[in-house]
Amino acid sequence: MRGVGRCFFIGGVMALSLVFLAGISPQVNAQSGGSILGEVKYNGTPPAPKVIKVNKDNKVCGNEKTSEDLVVGSNKGIKWAVVSVVGVKGSVPKPAQKPAVDQKGCHFQPHVLLTPVGAEIDIMNSDGVLHNIHSTSKLNPSFNKAQPGFKKVISAKFEKPEFIKIRCDAHSWMSGWIVVQDSPYYAVTDANGSFKLENVPPGKHKIEVWHETLGKIEKEVDVKAGATTKVSFEMTKK
Amino acid sequence: MLRSKFFQAIFIFVAAFAFFRYGIRPPAPWSVVYLYMGIVLVALLVYVSSDSESWQAFLRPIRVVLVDEEKGLIRLLLMIVLPLLLGYYAYSQAAAKVEAPPELRAIHPAPPSSISFRGKTISIEGLENPLRKDGANFRKYVSEGGEIYIKNCMFCHGDNLNGDGMFAHAFNPAPANFTDPGTIAMLQESYLFWRIAKGGPGLPKESKPWNSVMPSWEDRLTEEGIWKVIMYLYDATGFQPRRWDKQAAISPSLSPGRGPREGVRQRWGPAPAEAQQSGDAKVGKLVYEKKCELCHGVKGDGDGPGAANLNPKPRDFTQGKYKVITTTPGQPPSDQDLFKIITDGMPGSAMPSWKELSEKDRWDLMAYLKSFAPDTFQQAPKALQLPKEVPSSKESLSRGKEMFEAIECNKCHGRAGRADGPSAPELKDDWDHPIRPADLTKPWNFRGGKTKRDIAVRLATGLAGTPMPSFLDSVEKPEDLWHLANYVKSLAPDKPNYATLLRVKRVEGEIPEDPNAPFWARQTPANFPLAGQVIVDPRDFNPSIDMITVRAVYTSREIAFHLTWDDPTASRPEPAAKVFADQVAIQLPVKLSESDERPYILMGDGSNPAYLLRWSSDGGAEEAGATGINALTPQTAQAVEAKGTGVFADGQYRLVIKRPLQTADSDDFQFPVGKFFPVSFMAWDGGAGETASDMSFSEWYYALLEEPSSKRPYVIPPVVVLVSVAAEILIVRRAQRKARKRVN
Repeated sequence: MRGVGRCFFIGGVMALSLVFLAGISPQVNAQSGGSILGEVKYNGTPPAPKVIKVNKDNKVCGNEKTSEDLVVGSNKGIKWAVVSVVGVKGSVPKPAQKPAVDQKGCHFQPHVLLTPVGAEIDIMNSDGVLHNIHSTSKLNPSFNKAQPGFKKVISAKFEKPEFIKIRCDAHSWMSGWIVVQDSPYYAVTDANGSFKLENVPPGKHKIEVWHETLGKIEKEVDVKAGATTKVSFEMTKK
Repeated sequence: MLRSKFFQAIFIFVAAFAFFRYGIRPPAPWSVVYLYMGIVLVALLVYVSSDSESWQAFLRPIRVVLVDEEKGLIRLLLMIVLPLLLGYYAYSQAAAKVEAPPELRAIHPAPPSSISFRGKTISIEGLENPLRKDGANFRKYVSEGGEIYIKNCMFCHGDNLNGDGMFAHAFNPAPANFTDPGTIAMLQESYLFWRIAKGGPGLPKESKPWNSVMPSWEDRLTEEGIWKVIMYLYDATGFQPRRWDKQAAISPSLSPGRGPREGVRQRWGPAPAEAQQSGDAKVGKLVYEKKCELCHGVKGDGDGPGAANLNPKPRDFTQGKYKVITTTPGQPPSDQDLFKIITDGMPGSAMPSWKELSEKDRWDLMAYLKSFAPDTFQQAPKALQLPKEVPSSKESLSRGKEMFEAIECNKCHGRAGRADGPSAPELKDDWDHPIRPADLTKPWNFRGGKTKRDIAVRLATGLAGTPMPSFLDSVEKPEDLWHLANYVKSLAPDKPNYATLLRVKRVEGEIPEDPNAPFWARQTPANFPLAGQVIVDPRDFNPSIDMITVRAVYTSREIAFHLTWDDPTASRPEPAAKVFADQVAIQLPVKLSESDERPYILMGDGSNPAYLLRWSSDGGAEEAGATGINALTPQTAQAVEAKGTGVFADGQYRLVIKRPLQTADSDDFQFPVGKFFPVSFMAWDGGAGETASDMSFSEWYYALLEEPSSKRPYVIPPVVVLVSVAAEILIVRRAQRKARKRVN
């Protein structure tokens, strides 16, 4: 029994140090990292996008809104999926532009915003009508702030990594996501379902794809220094 | 002066009056005070007239005033003031207020010896609760009884069993208060079984005219279910039922059983000092299990058995989000905030005030609530900082209105504040339950209180977990919060001022059919509260319409009712989408009973049918007969003589419905002049899916078509004044003549 226990102990220490190394490795090996190029596709026939009739503020909101909770392109690529490397932490370089989500035409632009832990973001109101930014976050304190037409910018900060749903109660169709990232290895898919993760430390990694209505899937990817690894994911309605 | 018999008598008389009026607690009724004062007056007269010398001494000051040259001024003053006082008294008597006839009833009518329960005969006399024999399952029965109570009885009798549930204010007689030692503590369990099984309709003749809306629960509950509820009632109040043994049977009023549990009732104790205390969560858990768990759930997640029928849902404590806080938005509430909500309850919802719990119990409860969300309460919250209060003024109100529009309060609350904004129907809380915005014209339902500070603080903090956001940093200038609060406060009176009687005035000429005619604004309104119909399936635990304002007038030919009620939408019926027509009904008996017996409140029954004057948004005015809520027969188009015009604007319906006073139809109610008759109201918000028995209703009230206003109040007082002046002159002259004779 004792021998086995020791084995576990040593194994544990090794595992821990691996995690530790992985944690600090990006700074060290940033140049020698590899890239992951991939796409997320919808398996099967995607449901028709939901169209919502607008019954208020038609001047700025228009008469119809197409829901962005599942956007599938003509090549079946899924837009607005978040791809990340699991378990690899690292400080996120300061974004060139301050992360911002704009309420424009009565929807959140972008629909999914990536923002580093601890960074200040701008929540803007370009519509000139009342919006309220209502988060239902659990790890970060939840908030619900009014943003009348004259209030152009509200700032916010998130201290813990989390996928945070935001909505506007004044316009029930408005919903979006703020993804608070604790590593640089996050990407959002584009209209073709494509994404690119760069400078990923070499080695075997779990890659996770999250989508707000389709859930989460994972895949293991072997990243080689200086090379580009291709990967594709398929998701479908559960 | 004190030696004068006259002034002594006056002094004693005034002192006696002051004592009887103000020296007795609780205050004695006026009739008793008058009686005592009569005795005092007689005693004083006996005292001053005990011998002729004393009598003369008593009369001297009066005589002096009547004859003395020097007292001319006082004499003149008295001669003016006395007739005026008498004239005023005559006026107040002639113009006496009309009051609804009193309703006398037996509090605990004698039970029958046996009843038929779902076709089975149950003997009430000597009946014991059969479940009490099964002592091993006692707790199980009590807890099942609690579930039945919270799903069915709580709406009227209250979650704290004090007869003050969320619908209680709409009923008279008030729902029974089980914590009162005069109710279940002095009754046998068999008596409760009879009252619950048979309800208001089963009350014996001698306790009529009854007005109780207590339903016959035999239609819904099983025999065992009723016994379980009874066990819960005694367990939760800490009382013991009276037993059928001889000793107890002798003196019905003297055996209130064991007193209520310690720490549970402190209603007559001193007002809480509300000092900040930390509270003991372990003790709080025990209080929680007894008082809160049925709605808020064992785990504090707001999912207790009572939650199913409630809207707004009981709060889920596990997220640490509380609606009513005085801390910076995003911060947890302070201990004082939690204590205050437990103490005051949340008006307009099922959450009652728990003042009856001792202050310590409430602090302990507060500590236990925090333990459901330990992470939230780790750091001490920062108190909210508001700018200096701005008093209400014309400028402040106009700034408030400007801000109300600029920050678009109307989006949810509506332009006039009646909760009818375009975003209102889609609102959901953080748990995805539909939620209604507050109706700003009914401040008595504001969950966090209706004072100006309450309103300003709610605006600043928002209501966590609901769509109401924080405006602390979202007004143009910080003091705008106060301007807004002033404006919101100016939208409606503080209290609904419910009426007890509908007075119908006689008018001449044509009654305007347009509900917006200025004529109607001049008529005195009477507000009647409506409660959800929770008796017949489908039930309405969360009625959309909770009040109706009635104005009524009549001419020699016809009667017209002007009804006003709030409804967030003018619905276009679409039954597939559960949207129905909006409706309202005025309920009357078919025939006026000599014994004041009224039809059963929910559209009568076979033995005593009801007559309804109805209006619907798609069908206009109608008349109908009914022998029950699901037994309504609309009259044929030819028979309908009622006419109605309804208009909708800013979340409010206004309707004028008219009918000839007298008709040839024997199924119609014939309106009598100068005689009280019963009337009640029902309303349906079709947009909220209300139709048929899914509705809100009022209890029976009295209405009176007042006889053409008499001239009496303006004729009698001048006559009284003139007569008394004449009498005064006669008395003074006689006294002076006598005095002169004496001198001569």
